[in-house]
This record gives sequence, structure tokens and C-alpha cells, in this order.
Amino acid sequence: MSSPCNCVVRSARQLRSASGLRNELRAPTRRTFSSAQSPAAAIRRAIAQNGRFQAQKAWPQNGNTFGRIARDMGGARGFSNSTSKQALKTIEQVRARNKGGPFNLTAAVLFVATACGLYAYFTYEKERMARQRIAEQTKGVGKPKVGGAFDLVDQDGIRFTNEDMAGKYALVYFGFTHCPDICPDELDKMALMHEKVKEKCGENVMMPIMISCDPARDTPAVLKEYLKEFHPDFIGLTGTYENVKDACKVYRVYFSTPANVKPGQDYLVDHSIYFYLMDPEGDFVEAIGRNFTADQAAKVISDHIKDWTGPLNKKDRWTS
Amino acid sequence: MVWPFSSSSSDGVKKTSGGAFESPSRTNRAKCYEGRDAFFECLDRNNILDSINTKAGQAAATKACGGENLVFEKNCAHSWVEYFKKQRVVNYQKEQTIKRIEAEGGEIQAPQLPTRSSR
Repeated sequence: MSSPCNCVVRSARQLRSASGLRNELRAPTRRTFSSAQSPAAAIRRAIAQNGRFQAQKAWPQNGNTFGRIARDMGGARGFSNSTSKQALKTIEQVRARNKGGPFNLTAAVLFVATACGLYAYFTYEKERMARQRIAEQTKGVGKPKVGGAFDLVDQDGIRFTNEDMAGKYALVYFGFTHCPDICPDELDKMALMHEKVKEKCGENVMMPIMISCDPARDTPAVLKEYLKEFHPDFIGLTGTYENVKDACKVYRVYFSTPANVKPGQDYLVDHSIYFYLMDPEGDFVEAIGRNFTADQAAKVISDHIKDWTGPLNKKDRWTS
Repeated sequence: MVWPFSSSSSDGVKKTSGGAFESPSRTNRAKCYEGRDAFFECLDRNNILDSINTKAGQAAATKACGGENLVFEKNCAHSWVEYFKKQRVVNYQKEQTIKRIEAEGGEIQAPQLPTRSSR
């Protein structure tokens, strides 16, 4: 009777290991229904093995019956084994669920990243659409039109018309050289803006233009002398009183220069003080007032330039 | 005066017969602003706001800051002098108005063209 003895020893060992398993299961978590069940399953397993052993050794003639029982028990064992595995899994899941609810770190990171991405995208799109709307406002029919045909001369005495602005953005400012404080400040700002736009969008994309509202005193030579102190790229335009008046009219600029002034007469000119951003097709895009800093203005301009999908003539005016 | 032979007009900026700058260059503008600031500082010291719009103001300014006024006039175009003197009064009134409105709890917003930020 050595073999049944072995069986008992083995089943006892299994029992012990089962209770060990139970302890392991019980130690970190609460005692749950499935963990309470596992020793019972282990006992059943032990009995099943015993049974099969005895069936094979002691009662071979009844092997069928015992075999079936053993199989049944074996099935039970298999079943109980699988439930114990499932139970383990469930416990882990339960533990995880108890720890952080339905949210975990990965989900949180994904959620925040998606939210940020969507927010950034929609903000960008919204700004772009707003810019587009501003840019296209003046393109429609029946809208007030700013800008148009003019016929002036530049600081070198060369004829300059609105067609010389085609293919490039233009920043147009109206002023006069005898302006006490606002125009010089604004022209200094314009020089800064021009530099920043060049930095962001490249050379020869935007023309900085100053149109004089004081043709009697601002001859090309005077403009040349005056503007070179601000920026070498600046283009100064002047012309006859009538031509300057027409240019101011198409840009809706108010100015108050007297028509007939004596040489040497001292007077000031009242005029509108906005920067007009014109697109490469000669359409008005946006007006930039004194409340803008050079940085803000440069950003507005650069954003519009980057939005532009049409052709740009990046050639220098003198070489084209 | 370092050079006794130089005429009084040549140590200011060059001006036309009408009192305008011959060339309103950066250096000339800086000189003019300097003269203006010195004159206004003097007015501040003497508690004078208006040095142009009233006869009394003109007299008080000439009496208290006659020297500074002369330098100011010499270094600036005549039209600029008028402009700056009037601007001083306007700026003061503007400041007072802003202070008053803020004291009443209102908010000041600079007038501006509609841009995308204000839509």
C-alpha cells in the first residue's frame, strides 16, 4: 500500500500549496468570493488525482466508471483551475479599478493631449479665417474700396504708379516731412515693422511706402534726404498737388494742405495717421493704427503675408 | 555766446523766411524737442499750464521762462512751437478727463479701428 500513501502525501502537499496560494491571494487584497473558493478547488483537484490513481491501480476492472468520475473530476479541476486563473485576473482588474476608478494615467494623458491639440488647431483656424475675412472684406462688390490708381514720383524723381506695387505687399503711410512728432515716431515704428517683416517673410515681399500730403514742400530731393534717416528701403512718393490729392482720395485719407502756399511759408498738415496694408493685387487688407506696437503690427502683417497663396513678385523694383 | 560774430539766427536750426525748418532732419528735431522739454519743465516749475491760448498765460510764461522760450522758438519751426504749446494744454486736459472717468469707475479704451481682436 505504498501508492495510496504517496497519494495522500501528494494531496496533502497540494492542499498545502493550495492554502499557500490562498494566502498569497488573500494577503494583498480583501478576501473575495473567488479566493475563498480556491482551497475547495484544490481539495477537489487532489481528490480527483487520488481517484484516478486508485482507479488505475487498485480497481482496474472498474476503470471505466472511475475513469469517468476522474474525468469528471478532472474536468472539474480544469474548470476550477480556469476559474482560479480568471479570479486572479479579476482581482487584478478589481484592484486596478478600485485604485483609480475608470480613469488611468494613459487615458488622462491621451485626453489632455487630444484636447490641447484640438484647441490649438481650432484657435489657429479661427484666427486664419478671421484674417481671411478681413482680407476679403474689401474684395467684394459694393464694399468701400481703399486704395486704387495713383500717379506719383518717387524720391529719385522716377514715376511711380499703383502698378509698381503689383506682386508685392505694400505698407502705405501718409505723412509729411515737416511733421512735428507723430510722423517721425510712426516712421521709426515703420522701419522696425519693415525689419521684422523682412526677418519673418524674406526680402522684397513688402514695400514700405510713404506718400507725402505736402507736395509744396516735399520735393523728391527733400523726401530722399528725410527718409534715408529712417530706413534705406523706404520709398517716398510725392507729385503735383492734384496727383497727391487724388492719391489721398483713393486711400480715403483726409488731409488739409492749403492748395496755394508761398515759398518758405510755415504750416502744418492735418492728416489721417494709419498704416494701410495692401495685398499684391492692390487690394486693401487692414489698417494699422497708432495703438499697435511695432511687434504687434509686424505680426499682423506677417500673418497676412503667410496666408497669401497667390503669386509674389520677389524681384527688386530696380532690377525687374 | 562763444563766437561774438555769429548772428543770433545761425546758432539755432536753419529756417526759412516763414519760420519753417529748412530741413526737418533727425538732429534738428532732437534739438527742437530738447528746447521744448526745457521750456515745459520751466512752466511746470512755475505752475503754468497754458502759455499760448490766453494773454495772461503768454505774459506769465514770458516772465517766468522767457529765456527757455527764446531757445525753444529758435530751435523749432514756428508752427511746431505753436503746436507743442497747444498740445501741452490738450494733453493735460486729456489726462484730467481720464483721471476723472477712472475715479468714477469707468474704463478707458483707446479708440481703434475694428481688428480681429475686437470682433
